[in-house]
Amino acid sequence: MRGTIGASLPRPDAFGKVTGETRYPADLVRPGMLHLKVVFAGRPHARILGIDTAAALRQPGVVAVLTAADVPYNAHGLIEDDQPVLCAVGEKVRFAGDKVALVAAESREAAAAGASLVVVTYEDLPAATDPRAALAADAPLVHDRHGSNQLLHLPIRKGTIERGFAEADIVLDGTFSTSWQEHAFLQPEAGIAEVDEQGRLVVETAGQWLHEDRRQIAKILGLPEERVIVRYAAIGGAFGGREDLSIQHLLALAAWTLRRPVALIWSREESIVAHHKRHPMEIRCRWGATYDGRITAVEAEVIADGGAYASTSAEVVKVATLFASGCYEVPHIAADGYAVYTNNVPSGAFRGFGAPQAQFAAEVMVTRLAHTIGMDPVELRRRNIYREGSLEPTQQPLPPGVSALPVLERCVEEAQVHLGYGLAPQSLPATTSLVAESVEADQTATGSLTPRSARGAGNGRHSPSHLRRGVGIACGIKNVGYSFGYPEQSTATVELHGGGDIERAVVRVGAADVGQGSHLALRQIAAETLGVAPGTVEMVCDDSAEAPDAGSASASRMTLMGGRAVRDAAIEALAKWRDTDDLHVEATVQYRPPATTPLAAGTGASQPNYCYGYAAQAVEVEVSLLTGQVQVLRIISVHDVGRAINHQQVEGQIEGCLAQALGYALLEHFQVRDGRVLTPYLSTYLLPTALDMPTEIVPVILELSDPNGPYGARGVAEMPLVPLTPAIAAAIHDATGVWLTQQPMTPERILTALNVGTALEKGSSNEITTTIDTKSTVTAHASK
Amino acid sequence: MGDATTIAPPKLVIQVTVNGTPHRNEVEPRLLLVHYLRDQLGLTGTHVGCDTSQCGACVVALNGKAVKSCTILAVQADGAEVQTIEGLAEGENFHPVQQGFWEMHGLQCGFCTPGMIMSTVALLKRNPNPTEDEIRHALEGNLCRCTGYQNIVKAVQYAAGQITTGSQAVNQSGNVGTPRGE
Repeated sequence: MRGTIGASLPRPDAFGKVTGETRYPADLVRPGMLHLKVVFAGRPHARILGIDTAAALRQPGVVAVLTAADVPYNAHGLIEDDQPVLCAVGEKVRFAGDKVALVAAESREAAAAGASLVVVTYEDLPAATDPRAALAADAPLVHDRHGSNQLLHLPIRKGTIERGFAEADIVLDGTFSTSWQEHAFLQPEAGIAEVDEQGRLVVETAGQWLHEDRRQIAKILGLPEERVIVRYAAIGGAFGGREDLSIQHLLALAAWTLRRPVALIWSREESIVAHHKRHPMEIRCRWGATYDGRITAVEAEVIADGGAYASTSAEVVKVATLFASGCYEVPHIAADGYAVYTNNVPSGAFRGFGAPQAQFAAEVMVTRLAHTIGMDPVELRRRNIYREGSLEPTQQPLPPGVSALPVLERCVEEAQVHLGYGLAPQSLPATTSLVAESVEADQTATGSLTPRSARGAGNGRHSPSHLRRGVGIACGIKNVGYSFGYPEQSTATVELHGGGDIERAVVRVGAADVGQGSHLALRQIAAETLGVAPGTVEMVCDDSAEAPDAGSASASRMTLMGGRAVRDAAIEALAKWRDTDDLHVEATVQYRPPATTPLAAGTGASQPNYCYGYAAQAVEVEVSLLTGQVQVLRIISVHDVGRAINHQQVEGQIEGCLAQALGYALLEHFQVRDGRVLTPYLSTYLLPTALDMPTEIVPVILELSDPNGPYGARGVAEMPLVPLTPAIAAAIHDATGVWLTQQPMTPERILTALNVGTALEKGSSNEITTTIDTKSTVTAHASK
Repeated sequence: MGDATTIAPPKLVIQVTVNGTPHRNEVEPRLLLVHYLRDQLGLTGTHVGCDTSQCGACVVALNGKAVKSCTILAVQADGAEVQTIEGLAEGENFHPVQQGFWEMHGLQCGFCTPGMIMSTVALLKRNPNPTEDEIRHALEGNLCRCTGYQNIVKAVQYAAGQITTGSQAVNQSGNVGTPRGE
């Protein structure tokens, strides 16, 4: 139906979600199923000397205790099969969440009791828990056969770095560190599995890619893929956290081995301890620029803690290294990314996939450069930001459809309106004068290490003297879809049924709806293309045997990739429909986007991506000088989405992602000590509540068509996470004069930075060297 | 380690009215209300998201008050009236709060939604016209990882408007697949 694209249609799945009828994986458990319980290692690095299951097997209700001996092919992974399903006797456990045994029992209680009776004897080994130390020659090896803990070293070279710094008038150094982030999807891992009447293994759970789950399960069990069916129940959030196998293969193993229906439900603690996280990274960088605002050189070293298994670490680090220079065209770049095995929880996919960490560093550096050369940070961005035809660090032009500049300009316009950004104090409305005065007063109180942006802080409200307001702006870039030559495709089938008119259309596309609403977006694309009402379109998406492979719901790709496959299949089906009197036609199309290429050894030269999403954000914060607490008051988040297929859902993606981004920036402090997670509950790992979010969020959607996307659409799911941390860091700096370089920017870290900043102001010199916190040294000097 | 779990404590009989239907069940004294509702009565609309009483996905009404059903033992509900998300709609008609969450896109994955709705129903019962600040305070004990809360606040405001103006509840079979009228 024409006009379906862009319409904020209500979600068909909302009915079940507001009535309680929707079935999530844990709701599928039926009486008579066996309950599974995992025996976890609970230690970061050890050799298994023995597993004694006798006592567990004596426990009433316990039916079986599965160990590595029961696993036909005991290795899995999204990219590299380096993770055992169950760790074997004589082999090692490599992180506390490694799995050693799987107890199956007639009840949850019996399974738990049985698991506590499995006796595993270990020889503890020295653990590698610091990624930099793990790179040392004498560090304990996480994977002995690998010979080193270095999983990946990626150098990217563009131009001549020495020349770039020689051309610079100013050179700044920075060190940034980020911590893990937990996905904390509200629905912990759960599912059921059984062997059906036709002898097929059916696993029903939640994930992000039906056909990849199926591939890994089939490989582990030595089955043809057609013998395995993966179905998704309602998925309670994912955010990248359901990309790796967590419980899917355990369910499959137990159901196949025991030939009985099985169920497994993880507690929140099990979920947090066992599934992968966002990579902690340490980024050391050096940026050079001229006084007239040309960024001439970026040198960067990115070290990422990959944890115990490969997961997607190599790809994440490639993305982080590619974005070490942000969304700016820099002629001379030398960036080195390292993914390192440690005995910490594995790191893997998480919304943003390496981009947030890299651009926290890049965006703070750009703002600092601007301050140092006395230029408006927006103006410095304008002069260097990616444009159509700009060369990436990998030496190829960006894919067409570069909208970084219009996105930034729109953000600045909105920031002027909503935050008074860039307005000189005298041009502000009279009501804000008190605030402007108090800002000036701050400068004497806490000192300003760099020039403040002229701005209209506040909105007419006078703040108490211990509260400081500040505004910050940052940009962001994130690829849409798979990168670096990874096979990228999406397949959809469209069936049309009816006499004269299309009475019923069936769209088969194996696309996970993790909550983002992909099924409705794909339905709208089908309805628009076919010229039928959305209600005429039936979606078949959640069964690997009933729907073709659409690829993962990740990398902000499903609207573009799945949507394009649906659109192309609908066009083809429609053409057949017009050519025939048959009551049924069907078309299947596999869409492949423009090819990407692997990074060349030594230089990283490549065509890394086929599409990018561009973002810019402005935020206003209020910092308490007494507590270090930061309240984000307003967020403007501007995104080029190419075309919003469903406006309300796009806004929902932006707002929801901002909550996760705000948590990342300020609250979510995932802590690990000696390989053990110290924050395994939502009582110790804090998530943003309704009170932490600003009441004023302005999502701004630009629709500058992508050349490949369906109706011009490109992805948006991850982009809001990219600029927020540096935008908040810039706003905190604007408010207080200190830079935070550790994520999350907790009150303790802010207070420490404030104390150090104040102390340093008292003894200033021409060369300002500020130790902002224990891990970062910032040097500003005129190089010539 | 012994096999402590084999010595089950004696079960107790409770009588609970859930969504208007009286139930009489034998339960273990340690059984949480949420597990009683989910496992014994099959009311799986009440969700378990955290096990430590942070997330609020398990909120139900106990004698009209919103409670996290993972903090209450089933035996504590003996003699009580419990309302879960399944009991909120009246026949074919959505409760205004359910309508609000649907209309205002107050959900994505939907896992937090039943708890959010039950907390909101309790809020609007004691404060039919809450300010935005009051709404955010009232929902502080309910986590959502998808929406950023903006549309949840709008859903509550929408519901408050519906309740105070006494609008007719919308028929459940309406609305699906049709554009919102705006």
